Amino acid sequence: MSDDKNRDFEVVNRSVPRRDGRAKVSGRALYVSDVKLAGMAYAKVLRSPYAHARIVSMDTSKAEAQPGVYNVLRGDDLGGLNPYFGHAVKDHPLVAIDKVRYAGEPVAAVIAEDELTAYEALEFIHVEYEELPAVMEPQEALDPSAPLLHQRQFEAGALRGFEGEVTAGRGTNLCQEHHVKWGDVDEAFAKAAAVVEGEYYFPMAYAYAMEPYVAIAEVNDQGVTIYSSAQHPFMVRHDLKTIFDMPVSQIRLIVPFVGGGYGSKSYTKIEPLVSACAWKARRPVKLQLSVEEAMLTTRGDDALTWMRTAVDADGKIIARQANIYMNTGAYAENSPLVCEKSSNRCVGPYAIPNVRIDNHMVYTNTVPASSFRGFGCAQVTMAGESQIDELAAKIGMDPYEFRVHNAARPKQEFFPGMRPFDGTLTEDLKIVADNIGWKDPLPSGHGRSIGCSASDAGAYPLTSTAVRVHADGSASLMIGSTELGQGSHTVLPQIVAEELGVPFDLVRVVSSDTAITPYDRSTGASRTTTLMGRAVQEASREAMEQMVRMAADVLGVKESEIETVRGGITCGEARLTWSEVLTRYYRLPDGEVIGRAYIRKDGDFAQLPVFWEAASTGIEVSVDEETGKVTMEKLGTAGDVGLAINPALAEGQDIGAATTGMGIGMFEELEFDRNQLLNGNLLEYRLPRFSDMPRTVKLELVQNRDGVGPYGAKGGGEASLNSLPANIANAVYAATGARIRRAPLTPEKVWRAIRAARGENES
Amino acid sequence: MMPLRRFAIHRPADLGEAAEMLDHYGDTGTLYAGGTELLLAMRHDLLRYEHLIDIKAVAGLDSIEARDGHIHIGAGATHRTIERSPVVRELLPVMARMEAEVANVRVRAAGTLGGNLCFAEPHSDPATLLLALGGTARAQGKGGERTLAMDELLAGAYENSLSRDEVLTGVNVPVPGPTQRAAYLKFQVHERPLLGLALVLDLNEDGSEIRAARCAVGCVSPTPCRSEAAERLIAGPAAAAGERLQQAADTLADEAALTDDREGSAEYKRHLIGVLLRRAAGKCLDANE
Amino acid sequence: MSNAKPALVELRFELNGKDVAVECEPQQTLSEVLRNRLNLTGAKISCEVQVCGACTVLVDGLPVSSCTYLAYEARGRRVTSIEGLENADRTLHPIQQCFIDEFAFQCGFCTPGMILSAKALLDDNPEPTDDEIIHHMDGNLCRCTGYVPIVKAIRKAAAVMKEARG
Repeated sequence: MSDDKNRDFEVVNRSVPRRDGRAKVSGRALYVSDVKLAGMAYAKVLRSPYAHARIVSMDTSKAEAQPGVYNVLRGDDLGGLNPYFGHAVKDHPLVAIDKVRYAGEPVAAVIAEDELTAYEALEFIHVEYEELPAVMEPQEALDPSAPLLHQRQFEAGALRGFEGEVTAGRGTNLCQEHHVKWGDVDEAFAKAAAVVEGEYYFPMAYAYAMEPYVAIAEVNDQGVTIYSSAQHPFMVRHDLKTIFDMPVSQIRLIVPFVGGGYGSKSYTKIEPLVSACAWKARRPVKLQLSVEEAMLTTRGDDALTWMRTAVDADGKIIARQANIYMNTGAYAENSPLVCEKSSNRCVGPYAIPNVRIDNHMVYTNTVPASSFRGFGCAQVTMAGESQIDELAAKIGMDPYEFRVHNAARPKQEFFPGMRPFDGTLTEDLKIVADNIGWKDPLPSGHGRSIGCSASDAGAYPLTSTAVRVHADGSASLMIGSTELGQGSHTVLPQIVAEELGVPFDLVRVVSSDTAITPYDRSTGASRTTTLMGRAVQEASREAMEQMVRMAADVLGVKESEIETVRGGITCGEARLTWSEVLTRYYRLPDGEVIGRAYIRKDGDFAQLPVFWEAASTGIEVSVDEETGKVTMEKLGTAGDVGLAINPALAEGQDIGAATTGMGIGMFEELEFDRNQLLNGNLLEYRLPRFSDMPRTVKLELVQNRDGVGPYGAKGGGEASLNSLPANIANAVYAATGARIRRAPLTPEKVWRAIRAARGENES
Repeated sequence: MMPLRRFAIHRPADLGEAAEMLDHYGDTGTLYAGGTELLLAMRHDLLRYEHLIDIKAVAGLDSIEARDGHIHIGAGATHRTIERSPVVRELLPVMARMEAEVANVRVRAAGTLGGNLCFAEPHSDPATLLLALGGTARAQGKGGERTLAMDELLAGAYENSLSRDEVLTGVNVPVPGPTQRAAYLKFQVHERPLLGLALVLDLNEDGSEIRAARCAVGCVSPTPCRSEAAERLIAGPAAAAGERLQQAADTLADEAALTDDREGSAEYKRHLIGVLLRRAAGKCLDANE
Repeated sequence: MSNAKPALVELRFELNGKDVAVECEPQQTLSEVLRNRLNLTGAKISCEVQVCGACTVLVDGLPVSSCTYLAYEARGRRVTSIEGLENADRTLHPIQQCFIDEFAFQCGFCTPGMILSAKALLDDNPEPTDDEIIHHMDGNLCRCTGYVPIVKAIRKAAAVMKEARG
């Protein structure tokens, strides 16, 4: 892509307004919740009151007899369907079979003519349970005497995306383990000049996609058609292929606008259940969950991390070791991959010669955990970035200087075997330090912190796309990437317009219909701009190559005599726009050319990760020492994005991610009391609000064009979350002297820590 | 989506008919005003009623007026109406400020004072402030009208003491005299406050002496809690109130019988009562407030 | 539980400047009537506990949570949904345009509620301070934007509307 380095951009690297703007401000943007099909029935789900129980018997006859009820779906009557799904481990029944593994698990679904009728019929279902001992904590669950959640031995899912063995179902509650090791940590710790060691907790968090899970399914002679709020329709297609034993060509996933995802809509959720309902009822069925049901469907993995980090006499980090227990809840979902990623993400963004990470992903009788923005990185960065500040304090070094001293350098292979670092952390850190006034005097009760992270991002490189250039000079972009709000429907046509030299407004996006749009593995891991962006760029260029051949044909010249210019070609005196090339080629003002691209793990993408997603963030907080209340006063971010195709959208990702990181750092946490989720609603699960936001916010993008994406772009959208919880803990320490190692830093926790710190100082 | 179960809505022409309806439907019916709490509880299946009696159909229940040294606020007045009422703003600014912070702008537009008090959610802001202000409730049933002190009306968590046929028609709040100062402070982590604290001080002419005090703490016990012993402790010279306020806070915390819950530990709540009482006193004593 | 369906409510109200008449069941919410009966799906359903504001519509100019506000309450009133904000010539309301200009949304699910809540604010208080914007908007949640662009959009809309008033 060296020829791109010096070009002047016409459309990319500009904050063009969102393509979906008008639809979204006028209430016309279509989400699955807004879709109605003719003859559609509605399903409602009966959920388990027990965290762990055997289903002794179930009587659904009264519910089935209610006026307006069509059917009741139950786990012991699924005909020929293969009821287990899971892209990593096939451990998840679409509705409980024989037993339930968490309170809130679906045990039956009523299908009726309207939602109220379905809902009213639920209380006519009688289920007899035999309660089993439940286990809620990972370390308890690994005890040999702990109740076992899964008795079956599982098949590996077909689309695992990671290299680890399946340990799930092998007679323990261990779902997955992952180990990273190089150098000799024991020797390094033995000779270290200073060591810090501690245990850190990152809470269970709820992504709160505002649109709760929703899907509509229809099963007929054509196969299975599903409208879903899924982030990764092609991955869901694969799970349904197995459930219905059909070829993928007969499974159609359609995803219109999605009301937020943040990872929580990655992979398969309610689609197997709703399609089984449609199969049973022989009519289209819609299942719209409430937020409270969504909170019983997926959460983020919590993590308890023991970590120690060592420096030598020069302040260089020489070793890090961690032992991590993560909690995937009742089913594996995507946690095996989260396990691998969080292990990897313990290291970066520092170059550490001796590393040992042992990570355990464990089944418990809690709500299943899966992807959530940050994806394992936020969990361990709570520990890692806290320890950087603790070490800096111990050796008397400024924590900013200490980070700069140790940060991975550009092109450094700081993680053996992985892609050399493709960012500029020292530059990122300096920008943030300057923007939050790192050296400025602080008012009493205020504290500052700066942090950074680097994630092996981009997921697996497998993506395809088609760019159709029409005879009138307009274009259609066929993409499997879903528009979650991140702006892919704006960024990707910007690339087409840039390449073809056609106006941005003439590029239409057709997206996320597995029957129509070419395969894209997923919309997550910050991969779309990098991977789909490259595919779109290459497909545009391939279309132009075809049009050059067409131009040679209509002009009767050799291809080599034709020169491409913006929006068309020249050949001697002749100048043709793409529209003229096509019109002359087809001899009608109609027809098209289809440019294609296929991305695989090869070439620029041969080495993983696709890119390192790096960012630096900095904050200033004030602490009300009497109440323990923390207020964020300033926020600075530097997103290391290579090149922002649309800077306003990239900055929007950074502040959005940072805000979620702030929420988890300050008040977000799903809490279980024994066997039940205690705060499974928005009255009790506290999300960031307008009034929580700092009054000073400075967002910057670092654009060194050092990524493998189009024009040197890299992804963004997660990195600014990852360091925020640790930043809050570090800033509270700076303000009060109280070190807190468990997020969130709620007022009472902060008050107690301040009191304890003062007590220690007094004694 | 969580649908509401089916019910019928009835519109009484006057209080007498409302009382008749309440009596007639018994446990299957209840009064309905703004619905901001009732409908949430019904949606969560915590409450089931087949009949809602729309008390807003009775004219005149939303009036606000000053009379005989009191402000009379109709039970049907919304939080927003009270917040914006010129009468309340002038004569009882502490009430207007409290109402401006209840829940959010949508709840304030629809929710009513009467509904809030009758629903008796333990985290109610108005209940705590009205208890400290010495407000009283007016109720009317088949047997006629009666007046209840605020702590008589609030019988427990989600429980009021009105009889089956009685309707809360409004509250009477004494207009604070020229020597009285009032403050309401709350501390909030989740959607509902963790702690609300209302303080009314009666000062001498130059503000150097606290002649009497009334204070109430809310959210930390089934109903807002007052302690006369605590109030007596607060009285005394304004300049040296710190120690007395701490003792008063402890006494009030004892009276409230604090417990640990998701909002916080009893120990933390006890501490916060001290902090908020001191801050409330600071506001009352600050001549600029 | 009784199987007898309670009597239907005859609803007449003004919706986005036009009179509408529709029958509904007493327990049906305003959002159900707007979304299912009148096919206006701009009001979104999210938290269902009056916390998030995604379902906000204006009734007599005041914002309410249409997911928990009975349709029955709209009798004889003036209801404004997001679909009613565009001008007759299809130009956008200044608040809508400023939300686009300032990138004040991403997934868009909170946006109709945000815009209507902002409209209620600016109709009542045409020149709010940032503190007033934040206080008024604090009951509308957004998980995407971090709110800062929304405050900017409302501030800008206030300025645009002021200029239009002359």
